[in-house]
Amino acid sequence: MAARTRRIVLAKVGLDGHDRGIKVVARALRDAGFEVIYPGLWLSPEAVVRVVAEEDADWLGISLLSGAHLILVPKVVELLRQQGLHHVRVVVGGTIPEEDVAALLACGVAKVFGPGSSLSDIVRYFQDVDSHASR
Amino acid sequence: MQAGESAQDLDLVLKSLWAAYQQGERRALARLLTLVDQAAYRRTIYKCLAHAFPEQTSLTVAVTGSPGAGKSTLIGKLLPLLRQQGRTVAVLACDPRSPLTGGALLGDRIRMPVPVDEQGIYIRSLATPPGRQGIAENLDVRIALLEKFGFDWVVIETVGVGQADVAIGDLVDFLVLLIPPESGDEIQWEKAGLLEIADLVVVSKGDLPGAARTAAQLQQTLNLPGFPPKPVTVVSAAKNLGLSDLVSRLMQSPRRRRLQEYYARRLLLLAQEILAERFAEKKDLVARVLEEARQNGWDTWEAACELARRLSENGH
Repeated sequence: MAARTRRIVLAKVGLDGHDRGIKVVARALRDAGFEVIYPGLWLSPEAVVRVVAEEDADWLGISLLSGAHLILVPKVVELLRQQGLHHVRVVVGGTIPEEDVAALLACGVAKVFGPGSSLSDIVRYFQDVDSHASR
Repeated sequence: MQAGESAQDLDLVLKSLWAAYQQGERRALARLLTLVDQAAYRRTIYKCLAHAFPEQTSLTVAVTGSPGAGKSTLIGKLLPLLRQQGRTVAVLACDPRSPLTGGALLGDRIRMPVPVDEQGIYIRSLATPPGRQGIAENLDVRIALLEKFGFDWVVIETVGVGQADVAIGDLVDFLVLLIPPESGDEIQWEKAGLLEIADLVVVSKGDLPGAARTAAQLQQTLNLPGFPPKPVTVVSAAKNLGLSDLVSRLMQSPRRRRLQEYYARRLLLLAQEILAERFAEKKDLVARVLEEARQNGWDTWEAACELARRLSENGH
């Protein structure tokens, strides 16, 4: 049976109106054959989790350029767990200082793409994990 | 799902999902809406849904029109109005899938903000392959799943379409065609296709100059004396004009799906899909017939007839 196309929700959480980066990543993942759902700016953690649940997504990518990642990301991860969405892998991107990466990984984030990440690295990461994934 | 998973495992997976779905669990609904794309699951889901003549408890409305006509925005504006009327609504929002990579950017939700704890609305984005007249695959079974789940309304947003993308008309009770201002002169409105199929023609962006003229042209051209009338209305999502009028028109709309013709078409479409899937698996047979055609000097028609004969021979 053919593998289905993987679904990725890419989201901006909180008061952060900078979506240039997430749109570029969305395009790259689209061109790599993923289904990318982009629900727009200024979503609350609860709203993001609702979108992930309704869309039956396999991945959630959160972009933050606001500096609020250590507050908002753990909240999103916790809400995903509460909703029973344990299978959803969470990836974070944006202006994440090197010293905050460990804290994000510790709270359940699968991967962090900070400043300087290349599009091809991001796409390859999704493809590599995906080829081993099953659900 | 793993390639080696047996039919029994599949039944088990589906059994527990179906039980959760019947309990009203939205996550189970979300999962089933995904699994219908896999043929083995789809077959079982059809079985679970039970009849070819399901109880029609929902009003199914499609919103179609050219890219950028304002389909998502209009639906986003209708959702709170429908909730005020006490109706629960599910939306299936179709956006195009790439013909090159299979990827898709699904962005309809941006224009449909929903309060976080609003349980009366469910939105699902669907990637739609090219060549399908603007509607995602397996839309009929997805509509049936949402209907049986208990939504009063199922709203379908098509991909931005052209004049001839009429297939959506076979799947819904009521078809709304959105036309932005200044998108054609009188002759455009004489043409056959989507305009004929639409139950209601809505001029969008009614706050822009030219909207009134476009609406007047449509009204005149589509309502010539002696022809069946076709209602035309104007909305502006930006200025909240004409929206409650549109809702009350939709509330009073007839249920086209109750017609015998609807079931007949749906069955025919499904049978065509099944045959197309089977035929696609028989590539070697096509190559064989082509080779024989070359050897025997058949013309194209003869070769195609021979291929059709053999495909239907071992089609089971």
